[in-house]
Amino acid sequence: MTFLDDHELADTDPARSERAPDDWVELLSLPGPGRDEALARLHRLLLKAAGHQVSQMLSRLPAIGQARREDMVNQAADEAMVAVLGKLSSFQGRSQFTTWAYKFGILHAAVEVRRNLWRNREVPLESLAEPAAVGTSPEQLAEAADFSQAVSRAIDQVLTPHQRRVVLALLVDEVPVDVLADRLGSTRNALYKTLHDARGRLRTRLTVAGYLSQPLRGR
Amino acid sequence: MMSSHRALSKEAAERLTLAAEPWLSCDDCFEQIDGYIERVLAGDAARDPAMRAHLIGCAACGDEARSLLLLVAEDQGIDPGPALSRLTAE
Repeated sequence: MTFLDDHELADTDPARSERAPDDWVELLSLPGPGRDEALARLHRLLLKAAGHQVSQMLSRLPAIGQARREDMVNQAADEAMVAVLGKLSSFQGRSQFTTWAYKFGILHAAVEVRRNLWRNREVPLESLAEPAAVGTSPEQLAEAADFSQAVSRAIDQVLTPHQRRVVLALLVDEVPVDVLADRLGSTRNALYKTLHDARGRLRTRLTVAGYLSQPLRGR
Repeated sequence: MMSSHRALSKEAAERLTLAAEPWLSCDDCFEQIDGYIERVLAGDAARDPAMRAHLIGCAACGDEARSLLLLVAEDQGIDPGPALSRLTAE
């Protein structure tokens, strides 16, 4: 696949075309002379989304060459192309087709960048100490330290070993969820459910202990 | 590992105790995000508490949502600033 720069993409931007979403689905689904052109246009669309996402995350990437960056964009666009075509029948027109397609390009590029960032890094599955917050008053520091210690105790007391491992990796060591999913043989969806349940347990314990207020009913 | 060996920053403690309710899965977020972004860009004030909570509670989905908003705003030739503020506003 060919990498296109922003100007080339803008020149052939399907987002600015007059086609309605129904036309996109029909053209991509049915054999005929329009399908090849539609496939090419869809791929350009996904290259644009993937390139946009890689640019958004560029500051987090170590210095990489243009060739490596283009590889990531192309790979993400190719994977997104497969995903879009596989999900085409699920497009219901609740957004513009271009917006719907973009999200696949963005997702696959984001995952690709996160994997690259952590490719040669060890994923810590227990957390090291973090520095205390700075720049606040002694009273605020003491209060924050007290709360942090209570959270740390609650992690040990109410979370399962799996929940502990997941929340510390995601929220303390800031391992990207897709990278952690790869290492644990899990999925983003499953890890977020683990995180959500763990947060609920921590909140319950800290509410009982008086560190958090009761949630208001009806909110 | 015991808690005596772990010193959490204030920010980490807050992330750990975030109330990301109501529940929405990452899969459901992905399913709905395109329509949600277009509504936010259009200034639709209709609240979607589950989507808002998810985009705050899930760093990856939140990052990708902001990126999608920027890209669609660029296509539409509009300033993304106000919509970015609305993305996770109560």
